[in-house]
Amino acid sequence: MTENIRPSLDVSTEKCIGCIHCLASCPTRAIRIKKGKARIIGELCINCGECIRFCPHNAIEARTTSFSDLDSFKYKVAIPSTVLYGQFDNATLPSEILVALRRIGFDYVYEISTICELNNAAIEKYLYEHHKPRPLIASTCPVVVRLIQRRYPSLCELIAPIEPPREIAAKILRTTLPRLLKITPAEIGIIHITPCPAKMVSINRPATMARSYLNGALSIRDIYGPILQALQQSQEDTIMCHLFPETLFSGIGLGTALSGGETRGLKNHRTVAVSGVRDTIRVLDQVESGLLKDVDMLECTVCPDGCVGGPLAVENRFLAKSRILRLVSSMGERTVINQSDMNLLYHEDFLSFHHPVIPVGTPPLDADRARAIEKARERDKLSSQLPHKDCGACGAPDCWTLAEDVVRGLAELSDCPFMNKEGI
Amino acid sequence: MRGDTSFQKDFLIMGGDFTRAGKVSCEIKNLLKELGHSFHVVRRVAIAAYEAEMNVIMYARKGRFDLLITPNKIQMTVEDEGPGIDDIDLAMREGYSTATKEMRELGFGAGMGLPNIKKNSDRFIITSEPDRGTRLEMTILTNGEGLQ
Repeated sequence: MTENIRPSLDVSTEKCIGCIHCLASCPTRAIRIKKGKARIIGELCINCGECIRFCPHNAIEARTTSFSDLDSFKYKVAIPSTVLYGQFDNATLPSEILVALRRIGFDYVYEISTICELNNAAIEKYLYEHHKPRPLIASTCPVVVRLIQRRYPSLCELIAPIEPPREIAAKILRTTLPRLLKITPAEIGIIHITPCPAKMVSINRPATMARSYLNGALSIRDIYGPILQALQQSQEDTIMCHLFPETLFSGIGLGTALSGGETRGLKNHRTVAVSGVRDTIRVLDQVESGLLKDVDMLECTVCPDGCVGGPLAVENRFLAKSRILRLVSSMGERTVINQSDMNLLYHEDFLSFHHPVIPVGTPPLDADRARAIEKARERDKLSSQLPHKDCGACGAPDCWTLAEDVVRGLAELSDCPFMNKEGI
Repeated sequence: MRGDTSFQKDFLIMGGDFTRAGKVSCEIKNLLKELGHSFHVVRRVAIAAYEAEMNVIMYARKGRFDLLITPNKIQMTVEDEGPGIDDIDLAMREGYSTATKEMRELGFGAGMGLPNIKKNSDRFIITSEPDRGTRLEMTILTNGEGLQ
């Protein structure tokens, strides 16, 4: 699969004008402008989607599942992220959104907040049973997992080996639906609806299992319009949803769309919730330096305020957050998961990883240690000659990265316009 | 020729500069990753460097952090101008700390700093002169660690 090496983000060569906004926005310095167009370096990209937010020309496109991809499945199953519930006006109930999805053409729509609660209960049990190492880090955000594999390989062992809710939900459906509906597993397409550009990569190339239980990820951006239309056309559905609330929602589970949502359920443990990609990097740096050992669970979500701030959401995250908070407070601490169900699944290893997260690391300056050291010295020397205006005109995000690209043989010092002018 | 290859860099650390806490050790850590060191080595260096850096920030007026990397070892020397240590044996004991209440409230001063540095170094030399300063020399051997 060539898809594996490619990031989940594509640059539209038609829309990209080669400006430098995305360069500076990238937290892993994975973008270069080459021949007037932005290029994303697959092995450095963590799929966080910061560039999507910053590109003024909408030139960065997330490769997610399209509606036509769904046609190949006889039975289409949707598992929407709880973020979806915050995208429509205050009067729209989550159950109406689920009904709207069915109207659009999904044969089955599954509500995920119960599974979020299940995942939470499993993490709590794991924390009770394993007192070391600390802090454990949740695996929910696929960008965090990828970031740890590449930039913090020594922290891989801290990732709590409990599958994220979307995978647990898909796994349950994958095992039960064929039997229930008397159809073959290949006929079922299970799709996650998400505000996150990284989910597609985590589905195509999961870090924690051989194969994802999901078939694809549809962006909220793409499905927002059709849902809005369906909501407007279905007066009776709305009345039915108001009078007969058929779906069970979990108060604890609904909150997981927000930063702190995963740790909220862990009452008896010391927890820390971090959101935003730069703050996540800062905290992971501290963990790598041996700090935060007195924290049991570290929740990191790279989007600001948690998944609700995902770049493929439509509604501004503050409004969406306020709506979700309202839902959470109306449900209170309502739990819907049966403890003995959870224990059973937990002990069958149904909720945990098949194999641990494998460290990937960053590509060294050179495979040979002595030559790598020489290159590091050379890079320092080159960097000291550069103007450090970090203008991006050379195509690298900053002068330091240009120096690095030069020693790696990927750029020339003369790419710097200041060097040319001053004739060095 | 190859044996002579080395990378040197020094950093100035100012006492009380908590806003830059962790910057030096972070830079060293990232450099080691780019040199292809195993993550076990990176982790050991990261912890030792961070503790040494924090000791200067917490207790000294200022300090110099010298980094020397060769293909076989990573050597870090931290020399500070500060109060020094009266009783090194006592300071090396786990749990012993002279941190103030404020420092402890910030999460520092658990008395694990020096023991942690020693634990993560292959060779550790500490010398101190009361009222003058402290000098730490930490060496982590990377010979035979193999390339990743």
